[in-house]
Amino acid sequence: MLAELIKFGVSLGSILALAGFAWMLKLGGDMRIRDSRHARDIAQEQVFDFIPVDVVLDRAGMGALLRDIEGRQLLISRHGAAFVGRMLDRSVDARLDQNFLILDTHDMGVRPITLNLGEDAPVWASALRRLPS
Amino acid sequence: MMTTFPNPIDFAVPAFVLLIVLEMIWAKRCAPEKYEPKDTLISLSMGFGSTVAGLIVAGGVYAMAVAAYDFRLTTIPFAWWAWGLCFVLDDLAYYAFHRSAHRVRWFWASHVNHHSSQHYNLSTALRQTWTGFIAVSFIFRLPLMLIGFHPAMVFFCGAINLIYQFWIHTEVVDRFPRWFEAVMNTPSHHRVHHATNPRYLDRNYAGVFIIWDRMFGTFTPEVADDPVRYGLVRQIGSFNLIWVAFHEWAGIARDLWSAPWRHKLGYIWKQPGWSHDNSRDTSDHIRQRWQDKQAWKTSTSSSSGAAQEAAQPPVG
Repeated sequence: MLAELIKFGVSLGSILALAGFAWMLKLGGDMRIRDSRHARDIAQEQVFDFIPVDVVLDRAGMGALLRDIEGRQLLISRHGAAFVGRMLDRSVDARLDQNFLILDTHDMGVRPITLNLGEDAPVWASALRRLPS
Repeated sequence: MMTTFPNPIDFAVPAFVLLIVLEMIWAKRCAPEKYEPKDTLISLSMGFGSTVAGLIVAGGVYAMAVAAYDFRLTTIPFAWWAWGLCFVLDDLAYYAFHRSAHRVRWFWASHVNHHSSQHYNLSTALRQTWTGFIAVSFIFRLPLMLIGFHPAMVFFCGAINLIYQFWIHTEVVDRFPRWFEAVMNTPSHHRVHHATNPRYLDRNYAGVFIIWDRMFGTFTPEVADDPVRYGLVRQIGSFNLIWVAFHEWAGIARDLWSAPWRHKLGYIWKQPGWSHDNSRDTSDHIRQRWQDKQAWKTSTSSSSGAAQEAAQPPVG
């Protein structure tokens, strides 16, 4: 029993030490969407048959909205040192606040994302209301 | 008296830790984005939780193995050839388990944890399930006991198999000599297995010997012009440990609740991504659409310029 407890403690300590080491080395870095070409590449990585015809980027490069030829919309957002894509439908909660579009996809464990889209924000907010359910 | 062997994983853990440290140093120098600290913490915590869950159910699993052994066809001795044979057959059992884990949603709900990282490094190897017992993954080993291999021998071979699979979760190694790649599971083959690219979906289920995939038609090599992207077709997008551990079980529960009665069981035993109204994609659907697109590209590139202009890509 004591041996098991020691093993338990050492395992827990090793996990924290390894995670701490990764933090100390600053692994992961600061991933941003560089430009619309980068956003298109990420979109096609997420959904191979999504061919974007329209792109808008968050000013800080933390996310992007893309529309394809069929009118589908894809949200790309940063997730650690990677990106996550979500096809949007009418269930998405979209709130417009001047140049900011706040999107909640209701994914468990995922916070709403705030995109600074500048003057494009109202246009994209309006387009979101026309999405299929 | 009960026959037992030391657990080889206990001896391997220090090497796991050391190799992860070395890989992190490599990442710092060559590709910092290959590691994400939060993702690493989740992977290691999943590994830790898996060990705890394993300890809790170990007695029950071993009792079932012994019960199966009581009905054995023959008694296979602890001879050198038996160890070799047991290792190979256990790897075949692993292939069957692993293939089922990707093709039956109930099994996938447990195994999905191992695939939910968007990174592929040694810490991903330790991203193991907490719910293997619920997904009855141990049943795939029972035939070995029924044949006549002692449970202690089978579990020892299983542990060696697991240790082998640790080091193949890396991007540090590109390819090995052809003879090795032909027989053994390697980082290249297993990168394909963790990929979300349509070309690679649900391929390379092997544990130690890649020959099973070659034999059963599930082998796909890694190709240079289609770099592997890791994770799930629908990325989980969360660093919440509990959600990572249970999200697919929650998905099954949600589908069972909302589906019409006659379709409910389909959400348990059919392929991940199956839905009664075809509103979702299975890996087969995705691959088929991708293949159609590739075929269209090939046909238009070989036709005349005018035909290319007239042609439209397949959609939907």
